[in-house]
Amino acid sequence: MIRATLVLASHSFRRIRAIAVAIAVVLAGFQFLLTQVAVVLERDQAFGALSSLVPDFMRSIAGPSMVAFMSFGGIVALGYFHPIVLASLLGLGIAIATEPAAEIESRFDDLTLTRPVPRGAVIARSVILLVAIVGSILVLMAAATFTGLACCTPSTVQRPPVALFRALAISLGAIVWCWGALALAAAAAVRRRAVAGSLAGVGALAGFLLDYLGRVWDPISRISRLSPFHYFEPMPLVAGSPLDVRNVGILFTVGVFGVVAAYVIFDRRDL
Amino acid sequence: MPDIPAIRIDHLSKRYGRLTAVRDLTFDVRPSEIFGFLGVNGAGKTTTIRILLDLVRPSSGRAAIFGDDCQACSLAARARVGYLPGEPGFYGDMTGESTLDLLGRIGGTRVDPARRRALLDRLEFHAGDLRRRMREYSTGMKRKLGIVSAFQADPPLLILDEPTEGLDPLMQEAFYDLVVDARRRGRTIFMSSHVLPEVERVCDRIGLLRGGELVLRATVPEVRALAGRRVIVRFTADVAPPRLPPGCELLDSGPRLWDLRVRGSLGPITGLLASLPVDDLDVQVPHLEEILRTYYASETRA
Repeated sequence: MIRATLVLASHSFRRIRAIAVAIAVVLAGFQFLLTQVAVVLERDQAFGALSSLVPDFMRSIAGPSMVAFMSFGGIVALGYFHPIVLASLLGLGIAIATEPAAEIESRFDDLTLTRPVPRGAVIARSVILLVAIVGSILVLMAAATFTGLACCTPSTVQRPPVALFRALAISLGAIVWCWGALALAAAAAVRRRAVAGSLAGVGALAGFLLDYLGRVWDPISRISRLSPFHYFEPMPLVAGSPLDVRNVGILFTVGVFGVVAAYVIFDRRDL
Repeated sequence: MPDIPAIRIDHLSKRYGRLTAVRDLTFDVRPSEIFGFLGVNGAGKTTTIRILLDLVRPSSGRAAIFGDDCQACSLAARARVGYLPGEPGFYGDMTGESTLDLLGRIGGTRVDPARRRALLDRLEFHAGDLRRRMREYSTGMKRKLGIVSAFQADPPLLILDEPTEGLDPLMQEAFYDLVVDARRRGRTIFMSSHVLPEVERVCDRIGLLRGGELVLRATVPEVRALAGRRVIVRFTADVAPPRLPPGCELLDSGPRLWDLRVRGSLGPITGLLASLPVDDLDVQVPHLEEILRTYYASETRA
């Protein structure tokens, strides 16, 4: 099982490495540039002016975290929760996780799973790639953040603590893990990658919007707990709160359920 | 291991909702034989093959490869199989060489480079072709690469789904040589095919599927015997219509001609002819194709 998993993982990594490296470079570069933007805003004392541009209703919705966001640390941390960054990593996670469906669709499984390869190796391969690639990108983003801070932070500014970026990276990694695992469960059940990707993608979009509505409209705030994004809360971290281990635990657990479901479904189905 | 069949299929059925793809299938494939698995499209051939390879789970019954249950001991069963799919799902961005390497590595059995080279040579696959991406391959080249991937680990059982589809006549010959050579070395070949002359030429036994059921299982000579031989007799003088012995059927007759179908021995009919003024005797052995066409035609009517 281990040998087959590693052979499959190596094969799949070669196929996806170009897009993974491209996303890693773009996101790490974005993170580095954010540190430079924060330096410029700090030098120009522009955070106050920037904050005044935000409408009152937005302030009331965002609460104290808005103040925290309009700060040196808040701008530097933006890359860990910006919707585009989130969408890029979720898209990559879903692409990695839906490979089992792609292999059924292309009949590549007819070549690999007719050898003495357990079906679980296909799921294990996708989990390994999901964790390794997304984890590596988060490490690169953190490295770019620290590099930007180390080289350019003005002496008048207190550098945001390492723990903040660790907490943000864990939080971002947890939400990508959760949706990646759900996409894997979908990919284990269908015959076409487009179907699995659409299910996961539309699910993530619906979850994101549900969480957003839950935050601004009380009547559905309880329902919004069903969305994994409800447990992805970077703003309190930026405001100085510690990482909510319960939130991370819920996302991790949902992801584990997704992987177990994928394993069971893929093991029992007809290919 | 001589008593253990290479393939044992025991009351195997597969249902997809209300559709029954395979119905109560039972047969064995003996070690070191070439078994032709025939049937029209949708007869259940590929479903049966996919059950053997544990890609599809049976609704009831069981299948085993060299005694290992195809579902319960699936890895052990598949470790003895080389498989050529009907439509190999090669990735177009991989080279032929990296594809063969991947499929060799993932199988866990060591592939002898000299054996692979010999296979490639027999199928006239050049080193330059191996380094090209598979999106540049023709259908025939993909088929040849699939054949090499199935044969390269020299497994005891080869399961080949429509193996000569897309091959030119020269390569078909090379493939037949490979199959016969594999049998000579004790390998078992289980192949599905639509090409009846090919089945007649290389197979020891055949199984014919119709509507998911096995309607015929016999050696090629037995199948021919089932259909009977056609015997055309010409006489030098007019003869009366015959009173035929059992097993003989008069298809057509004239004053100096009998057109007969004879099932079984020719002894009784030669005895009858001994006293008649026979000018010429033509005994025609039927081709498998003609016989199986009648089975296919009856399915179409059904």
